[in-house]
Amino acid sequence: MANTHDNHEPSDNDSEPVSADGDLYGVLAEYDTPGELLEAARKVRDAGYTEFDTYSPFPVHGMDEAMGIKRTILPLVVWGGGFTGLIGAVFLQWWMNAYNWPWNISGKPAWSMPANVPIAFEGTILFSVLSAFFGMWILNKLPQVWHPFFRSDRFGKVTDDTFLLGIEAKDKRFDQTSTTKLLQDAGAIAIENVFLETDPRRKTMPKFLFAIIVSSTAFALIPFAIAAKARNSHSNQPHFHIFPDMDFQPKYKSDTADDLFADGRANRGEIAGTVARGQLNADDEFYRGLAHGTGGEPQWTTGFPKQIEINDALVQRGQNRFNIYCTPCHGYDGRGLGAVPQRVAAGGGAWPARNLVEGGGVASKMPNGQLFNTISNGMGTMQGYAAQIPHADRWAIVLYVRALQRSQHAADTDVPADQKGSIR
Amino acid sequence: MSALVKTLHPDEKIKAGNIGKTMTRAGLGIALVFFAISIILTLTGSASGGHDSKWARFFHAYLIGWSFIFSLSIGMIWIVILHHLVRGRWVTAIRRICEAMACAFPIIFLAGLGFMLPLLFGYEDLYYWAHHDAHNEILNHHLLHKLNFWLTPGFFFVRYCFYGVLFSAIAWYFMKKSRQQDESGDPKISETLRIASGPAMVLYSVATCFFAYDILMTIAPKWYSTMYGVNFWGSACVGGFSALALIVIGIQRTGRLTHSVTAEHYHDIGKWMYSFTFFWAYTAFSQFMLQWYGNMPEETHWYRYRMFGEWKWVSILMVVGYWAFPFAILMSRWTKRIVPSLVFFAVWQLVFHWLDLYWNVMPSYDWNIAYHGATKIVAGPLTGSVSQHHVGFSPVDITVWIALCGVFLVGVGRNLKGNLIPTKDPTLPLSLAHEVQ
Repeated sequence: MANTHDNHEPSDNDSEPVSADGDLYGVLAEYDTPGELLEAARKVRDAGYTEFDTYSPFPVHGMDEAMGIKRTILPLVVWGGGFTGLIGAVFLQWWMNAYNWPWNISGKPAWSMPANVPIAFEGTILFSVLSAFFGMWILNKLPQVWHPFFRSDRFGKVTDDTFLLGIEAKDKRFDQTSTTKLLQDAGAIAIENVFLETDPRRKTMPKFLFAIIVSSTAFALIPFAIAAKARNSHSNQPHFHIFPDMDFQPKYKSDTADDLFADGRANRGEIAGTVARGQLNADDEFYRGLAHGTGGEPQWTTGFPKQIEINDALVQRGQNRFNIYCTPCHGYDGRGLGAVPQRVAAGGGAWPARNLVEGGGVASKMPNGQLFNTISNGMGTMQGYAAQIPHADRWAIVLYVRALQRSQHAADTDVPADQKGSIR
Repeated sequence: MSALVKTLHPDEKIKAGNIGKTMTRAGLGIALVFFAISIILTLTGSASGGHDSKWARFFHAYLIGWSFIFSLSIGMIWIVILHHLVRGRWVTAIRRICEAMACAFPIIFLAGLGFMLPLLFGYEDLYYWAHHDAHNEILNHHLLHKLNFWLTPGFFFVRYCFYGVLFSAIAWYFMKKSRQQDESGDPKISETLRIASGPAMVLYSVATCFFAYDILMTIAPKWYSTMYGVNFWGSACVGGFSALALIVIGIQRTGRLTHSVTAEHYHDIGKWMYSFTFFWAYTAFSQFMLQWYGNMPEETHWYRYRMFGEWKWVSILMVVGYWAFPFAILMSRWTKRIVPSLVFFAVWQLVFHWLDLYWNVMPSYDWNIAYHGATKIVAGPLTGSVSQHHVGFSPVDITVWIALCGVFLVGVGRNLKGNLIPTKDPTLPLSLAHEVQ
């Protein structure tokens, strides 16, 4: 406030070290409090000025109204963005899921509105937010790295504790004397003229800044250049490895070669004459479904091994395992109409699965032991499930398949006598 | 316009005077007349279904109307607690009215005995699980047997009393302390309420969810959704703020609070109405989406009944009327700042909030009528042919609702006395100068 008196008359001998060699850009007036700034803004607006702005460390309530700023059109921008996002997201899903590449996923419809809602919602939000963010920048004329008022030292304090009002000289009503008087009458504690730069060296971008921008842009292009080169040329060199110690680890992978052992294999097989703990599996009936009769070749067993107790719980367990492992191909009813054959057929191919319950079919004729063996080791294109399903569960599945076969060919005599009345 | 703080306008009328008494009397009149109409309509058999179902219809309508008025107070006690919890400012000018609406809880609680006492003394046609026959069925259900102790009329009534007492106590405490501050002007009371608001919010949230599970979700005891509580709460807040807008505007028309409550406050009430409308839609869809996509029969039966057949049109009406229309229009600034427009949307949202509760409860009743002739309510999963999904609208649904709205006015009117504004609240000057940016 020491310079209050110095600034009564705008003059080239301003206390601020601003060179007065260029054209006048505008007048900056300082006010003591946000309230005074607000009043001053109202007076300047009432005097008919339009090319002016106020600068304060924080938003001042009511400033928009005092300055005569119209309500922002940002809501409309956001609405437009949100609507675009909504339509775009719905269209995207329709085009991908229902038009360009419809795909049967467990028989669900390719186009169903409830399934589209989350993406439509997200699309709306995303585009609303982006249009709000960038719309705000554009409407506020950002980014703005330089402004002529920056030449004033006083302006540097505007983010701290100073309240400024600046009128630009390009305003039609601008007149140095009367404008200054207006600001003065509005209670300014300091007034300052700001001039445009004339020194040609300072009007251009600093050379070091230019160098940084150019070189960083060039560096940023290097990865793209490498990718572009690799896509358009041939090379005998191995791949480029960024982390070679991760790509080449000192360990063996299964079924690879190595010189360390005499047989040249990295794999070490079981040592002859030994059995791993818990892998003896001596019981042929339980582990392989084979029954040893009185001499001769072992036959497929027709019953169940003695370890298996036939009860309701085992059937339930068998159903549970069957529904997990078998239904994708054989279907829930065992008729070979699972999701996989149906989907392949829908795509024009063929992946037939055996009908397990067909009267007189292969699965019906198989003894239990052979059914067990088929689950373990596979048949035709079916792979074995020995790795996935433990032995006892395989027997449970055998039991359930028998139950399925019987249920598909049930006769009146199968119904318990006390429940016959409930059948119509 | 620009001041950061304002004092009460010298000409402001802040005393309640006789408006509380007028409101109580009007509410009492409405309640008596419309209960009488409802009972006559029920006795003369205008309700659909067989003989026994007439009272079942009445009690279903009663449950909907009662949940409706309960939810208005649920919404208002929320804003009171939240205001203290976050050191809110703008609410202060209208907070006494919010408190008065929240303090309707004791009266609402008593009104709820209208369906609670019959349940306690053996009435079985409202809550199906109260049936003796239902117990065996529930015991056999793979999940419900765990609820066997939960769904007994005695324990149910205990929980009902717990909700009533808890909500009444919270509302009463915040109202009492606020009135104390009017007299003493002690700013420390604000501090005390701020400390109380944290635990109150936790209790409130949990109790509100369980209230919804108990009172509304058990109408269909074989269906469950953990989202249900929060969905009910969202709808309750829509109703609460809509009712608040109407009551504040009504009080202003008597010449009171004309300087203190401005378009800025309406704007913020409208914003809450708007945001909870969306919140309701968001949770309602989330609840639907998971069950629709999961496609498990024990969950989808509830939606199947509402998605197909006649109820489909009610569901579509809900999406369009409760969400899409207010979402599109109430988004604009002016729709919340102009009184006629705000009144329109407040009434609109109250009607749809009621319809939301109707949509939640009534299909279970209609299903019984369609499948069992409703000599007894025997609700199970809402299965059966789509062609029989039936909206059995009855005038009793509306008259009971209006009667219970009268009860709500009685509950609110009782509390409109003394100052209508917390005159010595430290945040009042900020609230009076409130300005929406």
